[in-house]
Amino acid sequence: MNTSFRIDRRAFLKGLGGVSLALPVLDAMGADVTDKIPRRFCAIYTANGMSLPQTAHKIDEWSWFPRAENKGEFVFGKSTEPLAPFRKQISFMGGLYHPSGPKSDPHVCSDMWLTGAPLHNPKPGTYNSVGLDQVVALHTKQFCRQPSLVLSIDAGTGFLSRTGTISYSLEGRPIPAENNPRRIFDRLFRGDRASLTAERDKLKQRIKLVDAVAQNARALHRRLGKSDRERMDQYLTSLDEVEARLIASERWIDVPLKKQDYSHLNLKVTNEGEPGEYYRNMFDLIALAFDADITRSVAFMLNREDGMGISDTFPLKLGLSRTHHNLSHANDKNGQMEFAKYDLFLSKQLAHFFDRLTHYKDRDGSVLDNTIVLFGSGASTTHNSRNLPTLIAGGRAMGLEHGTYWRNGETRMSNVYLSILRSLGIEKDSFADSTGTLSKSIFRRV
Amino acid sequence: MNLTSRILAAGVFLLLAPVVRAADGRAPQEKAFDRDVKPFLKQYCVRCHNAEKMKSGIRVDHLQAALDDPQLRLWENLRKQIGEAAMPPEDEAQPTDAQRKRMVEWIDLALQEARLRPVPKNGLVRRLTVAQYRNTLRELLLLDEELTEVLPPDAVSRDGFVNNKETLQLSPLLLEAYLDIADKALKRCIVDPKSKPTIQNFRVDLGDGINVHPCPDKLILGADSLLLNNADFEVTQLKPAKPFDFNPFVMRTKYRFIEGYRGNDTVRGWRDFDSIYHAVYACMRGNHGYPKGRAYETVPRGLLLRPAIPSTEIFGVDSTYGPRANFKIAVRELPDHGRFRVTVTAAKYNDGLLLDPGAASQPDDGTNALVCRNLKTPQTITVKQAGIYQVDVYSAQKNKPTDLTLSLGERQFTNTLKQPAFVVVRLPAGPLDVNARCTAGVSVDRVVFTPLAESRDIAQRFAAFEKRSPLMGVHMGFRRDCGSTLAPVGTAQTVSSEKLSRYVFEGSLRNFPNPDVEKDNVNYLAGIREIGVRSEYTDGRDRPRLLIRSVEFEGPYYETWPPPSHRNIFLDADPKDNPIAHGQKILRAFAARAYRRPIAQEEETALTTVFKNSLDRGNSFQESVKEALQVVLASPQFLFLIENSRTPEAEPLDDYELASKLSYFLWNGPPDDTTLKLAEAGSLRKNLDVEIDRMVGHPKFARFTAEFASQWLGLDKFQVLEPDRKRFPKLTRHARAHLRQEPIHFLQHLMRNNLPARNLIESDFVMANEATADYYELVGKTESGFEFVPIQHGRSDLGGLLSQAAILAGLSDGREANPVKRGAWLARKIIAEPPDDPPPNVPTLKEDTRMLTLRQRLERHRNQPGCAQCHAKIDPWGVPFEEYDAGGRFKRKPPDARSTLPDKAEVAGVADLKRYLANDRIDQVAFSVLKQLTTYATGRSLTYRELEQLKKDGAKLKAKGYRMKDMIQFVVHSPMFLEK
Repeated sequence: MNTSFRIDRRAFLKGLGGVSLALPVLDAMGADVTDKIPRRFCAIYTANGMSLPQTAHKIDEWSWFPRAENKGEFVFGKSTEPLAPFRKQISFMGGLYHPSGPKSDPHVCSDMWLTGAPLHNPKPGTYNSVGLDQVVALHTKQFCRQPSLVLSIDAGTGFLSRTGTISYSLEGRPIPAENNPRRIFDRLFRGDRASLTAERDKLKQRIKLVDAVAQNARALHRRLGKSDRERMDQYLTSLDEVEARLIASERWIDVPLKKQDYSHLNLKVTNEGEPGEYYRNMFDLIALAFDADITRSVAFMLNREDGMGISDTFPLKLGLSRTHHNLSHANDKNGQMEFAKYDLFLSKQLAHFFDRLTHYKDRDGSVLDNTIVLFGSGASTTHNSRNLPTLIAGGRAMGLEHGTYWRNGETRMSNVYLSILRSLGIEKDSFADSTGTLSKSIFRRV
Repeated sequence: MNLTSRILAAGVFLLLAPVVRAADGRAPQEKAFDRDVKPFLKQYCVRCHNAEKMKSGIRVDHLQAALDDPQLRLWENLRKQIGEAAMPPEDEAQPTDAQRKRMVEWIDLALQEARLRPVPKNGLVRRLTVAQYRNTLRELLLLDEELTEVLPPDAVSRDGFVNNKETLQLSPLLLEAYLDIADKALKRCIVDPKSKPTIQNFRVDLGDGINVHPCPDKLILGADSLLLNNADFEVTQLKPAKPFDFNPFVMRTKYRFIEGYRGNDTVRGWRDFDSIYHAVYACMRGNHGYPKGRAYETVPRGLLLRPAIPSTEIFGVDSTYGPRANFKIAVRELPDHGRFRVTVTAAKYNDGLLLDPGAASQPDDGTNALVCRNLKTPQTITVKQAGIYQVDVYSAQKNKPTDLTLSLGERQFTNTLKQPAFVVVRLPAGPLDVNARCTAGVSVDRVVFTPLAESRDIAQRFAAFEKRSPLMGVHMGFRRDCGSTLAPVGTAQTVSSEKLSRYVFEGSLRNFPNPDVEKDNVNYLAGIREIGVRSEYTDGRDRPRLLIRSVEFEGPYYETWPPPSHRNIFLDADPKDNPIAHGQKILRAFAARAYRRPIAQEEETALTTVFKNSLDRGNSFQESVKEALQVVLASPQFLFLIENSRTPEAEPLDDYELASKLSYFLWNGPPDDTTLKLAEAGSLRKNLDVEIDRMVGHPKFARFTAEFASQWLGLDKFQVLEPDRKRFPKLTRHARAHLRQEPIHFLQHLMRNNLPARNLIESDFVMANEATADYYELVGKTESGFEFVPIQHGRSDLGGLLSQAAILAGLSDGREANPVKRGAWLARKIIAEPPDDPPPNVPTLKEDTRMLTLRQRLERHRNQPGCAQCHAKIDPWGVPFEEYDAGGRFKRKPPDARSTLPDKAEVAGVADLKRYLANDRIDQVAFSVLKQLTTYATGRSLTYRELEQLKKDGAKLKAKGYRMKDMIQFVVHSPMFLEK
């Protein structure tokens, strides 16, 4: 990055007395934002696993993982049938697991799902480690208004080990989730003046600080004589980059939101009402947020482990006979069938979400093509932490090739996560306990 | 005369020839490079060794006439390959002898010149490592809250160290993190002096029936919550005595929850609660059972705890809830941040030694023995002679199992009665109340007290037992549904008095796991913090129980208001008099401490400007100071260690640079006032040795040994080891945590006591505590708790670094030992003969080698073209270690571990190898230590020349036996350290 150019332009902007709108607004954010199509990530979690009926019950067609093939292609089971129209946009992933999973209490699988942390033996003084969505957020936040959106069926964090959020910060702390569509909408799409002003003040303050730091550093730089300058140069370049990002964030406040149609939203719904309607509206909000490039990282917890929270009762509301957690423990034919019917319900919601993401367009294709959606559970079925049900959708513009039921023995979830990061253009060497990427899988550019 | 020696002879002559430059400014060897070397490489080498292919990890297509420092080793290797006609491979086109000769001659000449070439000396600019930054921030701000978790870990350099200037990179993300941390840290330090702090203070008293108004509700805290009886604990909210005004925090007692736990399931439905006992609990949830006696008992004086036996690491029914004897105060509300203090009133219990299953009862012949009968009611007997007694209890229903609680005076012992031999106690002379209560309808026929002569085994065991004291640990964290996440608060304290005394533990709340629950939580079980108090487990030896009378919490803990972290910044003057002048004074003082030197005028102006601008914008004095300080904490002067060079020539470090270099070397943190004062007076150089002595003796030196030992010896490998639990049942998490410390304490002991380096290889002592001694089966040699002390091991398989479990197990995969890894480690770390890096794509051995012995497999390996070159220098060092299993212990039946070392010496096993290294190769070992120390001390890789110089000069230390602190002094006095 050209140091003097940045500074000159800052001076220029200041010279105009902060009248920034005179410039084409996006210009201030640099080519990073304008030239590149957004790359996004969305993690969707469902607790307690999926129905994988015992073969003795002879209801294989109700297995969440495909159990049949036809002409070399997997056949959708009855509980995933609603996803059939998206065959070329999705892949089932088999054999995935977190190596720390079987070592830990099975109820913490939702805490671990996006982090892969060794919860049975955490680093002293800590509990969890950073989650995938937050790594994505760290690398995409400078391009959009919100680093990430953390959603869940229940607000807040729940409590660790029976968590109500799947998102963990860089320090490994749970990030409280939002669950009220009205409040989410107001915050994302109807930013009020007062909070915008407060945010702008904060950014301005930070920019001033960075300016002062830069001045101080340059004073030192001049005094360095023949000392090794490599690190100082790196420091100054980094500082410029920080400043550029802050300026970009500040500009965002003035950039008008993309004009969107909100008429399909029903913001009166809450998690106390009809579950399907609630999920559909939440998914609509995510799709809108992606379309307007408000954020590029979303984590959404659909329901919670071990009978926690309101979602445990959803199967009852849908006319099934047991709660979600109890269904996941079912061994009888009827129970496993009903558990699968709940899977079917979730598949319908997911199909709705994919439909929305296909409906919205980026410059080069649908939003779904530029979004990697990770859907799955931390248990395959009832507290079994191997072969985690996982479905990956979208991201075709990032080299993902779909339409398969991919399996390759046991595969570390973290390797999938590293592959997702690489596909998003985040050049990390590792994630949690990863050992590499899945280069010969659905990921073609890792 | 073979080709090599002929060339060598020629080389000697050539080396003496002066380096001349031709008129066109090109040295003759540059021309020769273009004429002879480049075409040779192109013709014979580049096809396989290019940027794309890099066969064996080697590329030569980029080599230039000027031999860059990093390539010297490659050139040496090339010379060897070409000189010895090892390359090109036999089946490839071969150069002529003359061509080879010209190559070798050129390389020799060029190498010679390169080695003599003075390297420009440009002062080093190094970023602080994460650990250094953490230590610096903590000492500068007097803030022990951990704020650096957001920083990514530092990369490891080729040398194995994280403080290498090359690997300490910067990035925008890192700078953003520094800015955030600065903001957070200053917010924590700076308070509003006019405000009143809020302080939470409460005490939980423990004892059988001490609560006369117990909570009438049936308390339950999830599955298996194992709460103490409501009458056995009492919670009191207190108001501490403080020399300043504050608001006492009153805990909430009214709660409303929709989610709860009853029976064995989660239940939903709103319920109201109103009692302090729904906010504070005394909880024993942990794993059930205890090998001998009861994990815990309440007695009128308090709660008795046996050592907390750690649970197994893998999730299972018996490992879910944490250790056995796992006492915790569970509490809904604690402050979010700030310091806290936990005061435990505790004593060592005047305990008896419960007898093991199978122990013999004393002859029941009535001589000397006191017999007590009619125990349906309590009895009193008279002990005539004080002393050690064995107590045998005879049940009236002999074969009926029962739990027995035996009271002797105020003392109480409970165990399952399977045999008469019950307990050994010391009894004073005089009357003794005896009471025996059984379960399951069993009654006691008689209790027999037999005096034991002091000389008897069992009496001696008891004497050792009663001398021991419980080690009390306090832990802080939170409750999970499946156990707890707790971290220790400071180190365990020895409770050696039988009188109740106060033991204080302090920490910073944010440094401990926190349940992070939202404010409007509606789950009864959510967001519960825990304060654990344990008698710590070392190795399972019998130990008198810990008696806890009360546990008191106070937080945030302030001795003064404003706290020292605030006054440390704002000094004492009143800003009202002259805010600008006062602000400047504050900034000057703070920046000088942060930059570790007096600040320049220009720097002061920059900071003052920030401060004044902030005031001008209408910010408060404090806010304005804070803004300027945030600049300080994000500035390179603070974040970097800077050596300011004027010329490319070597210059001496100035005194402040030296002060920092020294303290970041020996303390991994900033210099203290003493060193800075010496720097200010310009007398640091004169006092270097005094300073080194002082620093090595200081507690902060432990930071050096921990960092240096971990990185030099590669202990992180052990840290992440996942041992096969079935094969290595003793290599538990508990054992690993202590074994991990062994090399660190060992090195620290050698350095502090200035012992000879041969101890690194062969020492007649090990540094051990009770946990590690148990792992090495050094039975009965320790009574030091968790403290590492030197003990004479008297064994041939122990002593020195090479046989420490943290090292040997770390170089295994947790199942099988790996002689190649062990060999490479020894070559790299101990004798400084590092093998080359492994090639990028290691081919698998072609034949099926599963049926071969290890020795045969290694031989195959060495015979494989492409592998042979390096493995001949690695494997022989590793083979002797086959005597040790993957857990790092000497095998019961050690295999044949004879090995012919790369230098042709033959050794019969590790003991022999150690003897050989300690006697015949000690120069090389000492050089390796010096190389590692210097690399670490200077924060950069050493040049070829420097290494050669080091080897030569270091030999001076031999006369005194290469003593370890001498080596530190040697490094500090070397030009590599003192010059910039």
